[in-house]
Amino acid sequence: MDSDHRLSDLNRRHGAEGGARNKPFLDFRRVTSEPGGFPRGSMEASRGNVQKAEQRAGMKKTEKTNKKRSKQDDEEEEEDQLFNLNNKSLEEDDEDLSDSEESVYSGLQDSGSDSDEEEEEEAEGGSDDEDEQDQNEKSTVKKSKKERADEEKEVKKEDEYNHDTSDEEDIRNTVGNIPMEWYKDFPHVGYDLDGKKIFKPIRNKDELDDFLEKMENPDYWRTVHDKKTASDIVLSDEQIELVNRLQKGQFGDVNFNEYEPTVEFFSNDVMIHPVTNRPADKRSFIPSLIEKEKVSKLVHAIKMGWIKPRRVQDDSRGRFYDLWANEDSSILAKHKMHLPAPKIRLPGHEESYNPPPEFMFTDEEKALWEQQDPSDRKLPFIPKKYPSLRQVPAFSRFIQERFERCLDLYLCPRQRKMRVNVNPEDLIPKLPKPKDLQPFPTTQALVYRGHSGLVRSISVSPSGQWLVSGSDDGSVRLWEVCSSRCLKTVSVGGAVKSVAWNPNPSLCLVAVTVDSAVLILSPALADKQVISSSERLLSAQQEEGPSEGSQPVVWTETEGEELNQGIRLKIQHPKAVHQVTWHSKGDYLASVMPDHSSHLQVFIHQLSRRRSQNPFRRNKGLVQAVSFHPIRPYFFVATQRSVRIYNLVKQEMTKKLQANSKWISSIAVHSGGDHVICGSYDCRLSWFDLDLSTKPYKMLRHHKKAVRSVAYHRGYPLFASASDDGSVIVCHGTVYNDLLQNPLIVPVKVLRGHAITHDLGVLDVTFHPTQPWVFSSGADATIRLFT
Amino acid sequence: MSQLQARFFTEDQRYVVDDVPFSIPAASEVQDLSNVINKLLEAKHASHSRVEFDFLVKGQFLRTQLAPHMETEGISTFDTIMHDDWISSVEADSEWILTGSYDKTARIWSLEGKAVTTVAGHSDVVKDVAWVKRDGLTSLLLTASLVTRPAVIAHLRRTAAVLIHCCRGHTGSVDAISTDPTGSKFCSGSWDKMLKIWYHKMALKLTPDGIVSSVLWCDSEEVCSASWDHTIRLWDVEAGVMKTTLSGSKVFNCISYSPLCRRLASASTDRHIRLWDPRTTDGTLVLLSLTSHTGWVTAVKWAPSHEHQLISGSLDNLVKLWDTRSCKAPLYDLAAHEDKVFCVEWTDSGLMLSGGADNKLYTYRYSGARTDAGA
Repeated sequence: MDSDHRLSDLNRRHGAEGGARNKPFLDFRRVTSEPGGFPRGSMEASRGNVQKAEQRAGMKKTEKTNKKRSKQDDEEEEEDQLFNLNNKSLEEDDEDLSDSEESVYSGLQDSGSDSDEEEEEEAEGGSDDEDEQDQNEKSTVKKSKKERADEEKEVKKEDEYNHDTSDEEDIRNTVGNIPMEWYKDFPHVGYDLDGKKIFKPIRNKDELDDFLEKMENPDYWRTVHDKKTASDIVLSDEQIELVNRLQKGQFGDVNFNEYEPTVEFFSNDVMIHPVTNRPADKRSFIPSLIEKEKVSKLVHAIKMGWIKPRRVQDDSRGRFYDLWANEDSSILAKHKMHLPAPKIRLPGHEESYNPPPEFMFTDEEKALWEQQDPSDRKLPFIPKKYPSLRQVPAFSRFIQERFERCLDLYLCPRQRKMRVNVNPEDLIPKLPKPKDLQPFPTTQALVYRGHSGLVRSISVSPSGQWLVSGSDDGSVRLWEVCSSRCLKTVSVGGAVKSVAWNPNPSLCLVAVTVDSAVLILSPALADKQVISSSERLLSAQQEEGPSEGSQPVVWTETEGEELNQGIRLKIQHPKAVHQVTWHSKGDYLASVMPDHSSHLQVFIHQLSRRRSQNPFRRNKGLVQAVSFHPIRPYFFVATQRSVRIYNLVKQEMTKKLQANSKWISSIAVHSGGDHVICGSYDCRLSWFDLDLSTKPYKMLRHHKKAVRSVAYHRGYPLFASASDDGSVIVCHGTVYNDLLQNPLIVPVKVLRGHAITHDLGVLDVTFHPTQPWVFSSGADATIRLFT
Repeated sequence: MSQLQARFFTEDQRYVVDDVPFSIPAASEVQDLSNVINKLLEAKHASHSRVEFDFLVKGQFLRTQLAPHMETEGISTFDTIMHDDWISSVEADSEWILTGSYDKTARIWSLEGKAVTTVAGHSDVVKDVAWVKRDGLTSLLLTASLVTRPAVIAHLRRTAAVLIHCCRGHTGSVDAISTDPTGSKFCSGSWDKMLKIWYHKMALKLTPDGIVSSVLWCDSEEVCSASWDHTIRLWDVEAGVMKTTLSGSKVFNCISYSPLCRRLASASTDRHIRLWDPRTTDGTLVLLSLTSHTGWVTAVKWAPSHEHQLISGSLDNLVKLWDTRSCKAPLYDLAAHEDKVFCVEWTDSGLMLSGGADNKLYTYRYSGARTDAGA
């Protein structure tokens, strides 16, 4: 608001100054048009002349400015005025006209002004005054002149100019700007400057008179009635001509050439003489007090909150958001991840309207360009040659190109994102390479051939020198491990489901299950002392049980042929025995008779006392396999879905392991006793950490078919599983003493060799007690040693 | 040497003969062999009409007599001696060959393959044999057996073997037995993890912590034993202490020492034959490993008269002749055996012997050995 004020003030001031400047401008014109004339102040010597000229010019100027102003203000009314003029009395003198009339009659005034100047010169002589004084004098001169005219003609003038803002009134009649009808009934029409009445001419014209005059007076057409002075004015020929010219829109002055060649005052040429040499006013250097006051008022108002600055239209909201607006190199330096807006490729020579010939396409290139996919093209256009820039047509791809640019900007990344490139293989826990986990069996070394039926079970002697195998062909064979020599074949007369070598090195006994009997075999493959000690154990007398008749298990000593073959004892069970296993001390052995309906599924036999007992009173499900704890008096019983651990001393169940599998096939206990692996018919192998949980610590699903057997190595951190898919998978399983560290399980080797016969692959697997060797027996009637 | 064992193979189904070895005169030529085949085929089908055959011996056309062909091609000629059972061990001197067999006997054969005598007395498999002393027809020999009677000294007079003494003391089966160069002491290694030095009815017990699979005398004061605990140990017999341990990574089946190059060669339960320097104190240095077998190497023996050559027998049915100067590949594959090879022997007279699970003892004569001997 205040700025507007200031502006208007300034305008006003400038206008004033401009007005002031106009004067010298006209001055100059006059000076230059008059040869030999000099601008004021340029030469002291010719001062007097110059003064005169200036004074003359000053006069001219006021008249002209007046003329100009009236022109600006009353452009529209000009015609009316002219018509009015037509009606005015012709007697009116040039000089009697108002300011505006003066401007209109500028052409006539020239002579008048000349006479004025002469008068002025006479009046003032060689007076040396300032411009303003000149003007004042001039006005007074004018006034006196007008008075004279009034006196002479006593003509009243009508108010012709309703909007006349000029202060120079027609002073022949002093009634002012009133409708002259008010004096209709009076004999006078007003008062002159002296207060005397101006009387109407004593004449009563009626219509007839008027008509007669019209008919008779040849000057009637050029007679104008002046209401204010109530006089008729007959226009002179010159005035008529002037009116005509003005009606035509021509300048009043005949001699005025409106198409005079313009003089470029404000050109870039440095002139010898400046347009104006007037020193700047003092006030232009002094701060305006009034303005200061105004401004301070505004400031106060703003401070008090009375004035609120005009709200600037907020363009930023809603319309668009310039993504790249605050691109700043300092930001770029700070954020290394920041990406600047992609730059448009600068146009090259090929984009020229007149490209050099090497940029023009040959026919082949053109054909290639047309064949190519738009995205594959090197250039998005074909360079074209035009003889001139004028002939270049409108750019046809403009919209498309703009769109692509916008698309580029829209789709381009603003920030360099550090994407974490996660290699899925890195997420897999780092397992040591099998190479680092040696030794483990890798190749097949020996094949033990001799059986004619599938070999269901194998067992190695505690020394590792012998191997015993039981087969469906009704024989038990004893093999020398390192030469695959079958040293002994014992036919037992039935399919052998399970064999187990007594783990006690001071005994040499093998337990064999045939149908519903468990045979204790003395293979006699040991030193005499060992043989005699085992004989002693076998010859122990049976304790007399309290209820002889109800004993489900019958111990009998063998005779005859069987004795010669080495079979010493026969433990007759009520049902078919599937598995037999020894306690590590070698005195106890457990046998399994899977049966849904009975609680007589597991028997524990004591060899030295020839005693059998059934540790379980209730049937907890179909027992699949049993195992003794290698150190502590625990007993593992694997039913179809779970493994129960019983404390044999306290005679209670301590733990129940959920195998998460449908049908457990086999169980093996780690030599430390804290880990158990279970193989199941649904291809899984579950590793239990007894300290950890009753759920499997790990499930291994490497086999394609049912897992038949699992085994731990006694010394090495190895375990193996045998499956119907004909393979034995050896895994490395390090067990740490540190309770915080979980076992490390790494599958290291798949051993293949057994042929699949009748959908049965490998039926049993066992490790060599001292070497990292694994034996496997299969349905193809062979036993294989992998080292 | 007048007979050769040969098998005939063909890819043409019409002329297939039984895959059994035939004894063929060494002087036979293509015509003779063709006659043999034709006769066999006629015996098989009466309608057979005579066809002339060509023969490839190891990929080479036979154009001359069989024996010269074998010699020019560098193929060792060999003889076979049939046993009743698997041959577990063999030891030969300049005249006789002593073999131990799984039929619980040890047999003595002349170098020509004639049976001299049978030493019975073991109730179990004879695992190792050794000569102690021999003058003329009288000799002393040593057998070791599985399980029941560990070591037996038998005295052989003329053709009858008489058991002199049964050395009891081992509680496991004795797998290795070896006499010292003077013939006054012998040592035995056993499954009871003992190494015993026997002399004059006394025994020195050494405990190598592992099942001893092979023993030998490096010289009269030093015994070397290889065991299942992956070590080779050198023992000072006088002091009865262990001098050096050489550690391997696999079970050692057999070792052999060559006084010419003073190297130990070991056969282990992998495919490699390794050479050791027993004098190194750190004992871990494997000088060289010879790899070509595809099964366990069960036996190894240095040439007695050649410092670079050795033979090895393996479970892959092959006997290989090696030269340590070409360790990448063996000099010759002696593919005579049809089953596992358990023992090899190289006599002073340049005869190579190998026995195995096909009940046959093969004798080879390598002509190159003698010609190279001076080199």
